[in-house]
Amino acid sequence: MTHRLKIEDFGRNPDRPLTQIDLEDLVPLPPPYDQAAALPKWKELTKEAKERFACNLDGVVALGLPKPKDAAEEQATVDRFVSGLKKLLTKENNWTFLQPLVLSLEYCAKCQSCNDSCPIYTASGSNDLYRPTYRSEVWRRLVHKYLKPGGALLARLKHGDIDLNWTTVSRLYELCYRCTMCRRCAQACPMGVDNGLITHELRKLFSQELGWAPKELHERGTQLQLKVGSSTGMNPEVVKDNIQFIDEEFAEESGLDATTPWDQEDADVLLIHNAGEIMSWPENPAAFAIILNAAGIKWTLTSDEPSYDGVNYGLFYDDFQLARIALKHAGTAKKLRAKKVLMGECGHQHKVMMTISDRILLGDLSIRRESCIPLLERIVFGGKIKFDPSKNNFPVTLHDPCNITRNLGIIEPQRRILRYLCPQFREMAPHGAENYCCGGGSGFAVMSGNNFGDWRKAIASRVKFKQVLEAFRDCAGPEVKKYVCAPCSNCKGAFRDMLEYYGAKEKSSIIYGGLVELIVNAMVGLKKPFIKWEEE
Amino acid sequence: MTLLAFCYLAVGFFAVAFVHRAWAIASMPVHLRWELAPVPHEASKAHYGGSYLEEYEWWTKPREKSLVSEGIYMFKEIVLLRGVWEHNPRMWTFSFPFHFGIYLLVAMAGCAFLAAWGLPLFGSLARMLAILGYCLGCLGTAGLLYMRLADPKLSAFTTPATCFNLLFLFLVFSTGAYSVFGLADFTGELAKLMKAFFTIDTTVALPAAARIHVVAAAAFLVYLPFTHMLHFLAKYFTYHEIRWNDEPMTAGSAMEAEVKALLSQPVEWAAPHIGADGKKNWVDVATQEVQK
Repeated sequence: MTHRLKIEDFGRNPDRPLTQIDLEDLVPLPPPYDQAAALPKWKELTKEAKERFACNLDGVVALGLPKPKDAAEEQATVDRFVSGLKKLLTKENNWTFLQPLVLSLEYCAKCQSCNDSCPIYTASGSNDLYRPTYRSEVWRRLVHKYLKPGGALLARLKHGDIDLNWTTVSRLYELCYRCTMCRRCAQACPMGVDNGLITHELRKLFSQELGWAPKELHERGTQLQLKVGSSTGMNPEVVKDNIQFIDEEFAEESGLDATTPWDQEDADVLLIHNAGEIMSWPENPAAFAIILNAAGIKWTLTSDEPSYDGVNYGLFYDDFQLARIALKHAGTAKKLRAKKVLMGECGHQHKVMMTISDRILLGDLSIRRESCIPLLERIVFGGKIKFDPSKNNFPVTLHDPCNITRNLGIIEPQRRILRYLCPQFREMAPHGAENYCCGGGSGFAVMSGNNFGDWRKAIASRVKFKQVLEAFRDCAGPEVKKYVCAPCSNCKGAFRDMLEYYGAKEKSSIIYGGLVELIVNAMVGLKKPFIKWEEE
Repeated sequence: MTLLAFCYLAVGFFAVAFVHRAWAIASMPVHLRWELAPVPHEASKAHYGGSYLEEYEWWTKPREKSLVSEGIYMFKEIVLLRGVWEHNPRMWTFSFPFHFGIYLLVAMAGCAFLAAWGLPLFGSLARMLAILGYCLGCLGTAGLLYMRLADPKLSAFTTPATCFNLLFLFLVFSTGAYSVFGLADFTGELAKLMKAFFTIDTTVALPAAARIHVVAAAAFLVYLPFTHMLHFLAKYFTYHEIRWNDEPMTAGSAMEAEVKALLSQPVEWAAPHIGADGKKNWVDVATQEVQK
């Protein structure tokens, strides 16, 4: 059992982690997943990693922050952190989220009503470090003690004490990556305080002022996307080659038209996929092509850098990286004179393009942007394509990507499709706007450095895995094949890792996939089943 | 005279501080969209958290905005503390009586005011509301103070100021309770004071117990703007301006003009990949090419 953590502890005892994770403390799972000892052992941190990197939070290293060489470097880091802290609270440098941030700074009642809504805190067995309020309170105390007038004594009496040193800064950086920013806690807050936003803003501070961000999101994420065209590393030629291969492969298998049009001007729809789909789940872009062609939609993909990749990890850590990519996506749509941009099955792409960027895509960059889900609903119920729902007569449950449901409120169209096409569709509890995050949110799905992958699968994804098992409890055994529909690329990445970690394919015959795959699988005239249970 | 002067001072200070704070929040720059389901003005979709973005080509459809739905949501949130009830029922046990006690006392003040202007029926009602309000307030603040100190989930976040705030509130409620039970016509005395307040009648005099209560309440009013307890003001913005602000950008709007002005501000972030120099503005920084 973990000891009670105080906020004041955060800057103290620099040489040891603030807390230790004991797998026996985690929230229990139903059999056959109830034996912690039967799960894969966590990756041991190497001696070299422990010596090189800050490992002072919870024994987990997501970020690999090098330890400072000397006291001068420590102090310089602290100074830069304070400088960033100030900028975060100025109109000039942070108008984008200033009002929500200031309100969350000043009006938290510290009632802890949000705690139990957090899947990470819950999964951890209520480890104090993972309370949605813990990180926020550290930040709040730092602001009041080091930025606000009144002096340290008043700040201590009014807001509580905290030390600011390299330990505080490095722990806070690592702690920013123990929250998926799913905003379930924000829904629970009676005041409207948003701990997910505070995580977001702290990540921005580290990136925009100190140049600190996870390699997976920055160097191999937004930077790679801006340099090469995609965070997968695919340049335009490779993307077109891959899609051509996918088109041919799936046209052959399905007997349906899977041709992808490229760079068509004046198209009704410019479809932008998360390029991860092309690399990891080629059946997804193939299914989109089959559906759009069968429905007679005038659509196109683009080979423009970086617009063939809807990924925009800037959402998770950096406003400027976000804006750079979003502007290029909109620029491509403008160049092609597309009537609208359609988001593929990618939750964070939905959020970036449909709401976050809405107020910065001005003038002729203000192209109409829409989720694929309402269009898919229109196609499914439009009558142009014939369906045979009995082809999907296996248990199906729906994972609600936070960015599509809680953040955008797109909840019912996908359900209407599933209720129609999947006779054994069942909901998770809770679902819709109150869903639990898959554990891959805010970039976690692509982060597995050191032992973070184990933490993510064992803790961040645990509550979601429990939900999936409960949704299928009437057919729990491996003899019944079951499908988790996750219409989001990052969520699918999290499901892939989660199901593999727990051995759920073998023990429970659970596979995962997108929404379009289920739609195509139910199409009349398909040569072979589109969903391949063995290959998933 | 001294008591009345203090009341003017307290009410005046609070009013100025309240308006100043409201203005400070309201005049902050427009932010990027950060809505959070459910958005209750989506009248037919709010019950499951849906939004207009569910509609095919939503921009061609009329927006469905129901102020009534927002009102019902806020009523449950403010009066019944729905959020606390759902997510923190143990705290609701004390938080609800505390808040509801305040609402009753505000209603009591209204009744006392009406009674002061010759509507005696309201005097009886005011007394009833006062008894209930002060008792609930005492129960709520004492219970919350106990929880803040005894519950380890809360105590890690409890500061001296948290305890002081609750003790101060308990003082206000308990002096009120003492007055309402100890004086023959406490609400009548309050009515007298209110009438004097509005007619600037400097001759008004109150019994000692009532005087102590009024001074405590007025002092709290002065203290309130310095605390997070002004959250009843902030809550308007966190709900209406953030969670429920789903207004899409439209060409030629005031919002567009404001955003254009914000984008022209210089950027000072220091990380090398930002490429800011304190002179380049947001547009310059966001449109500069990454070195390949």
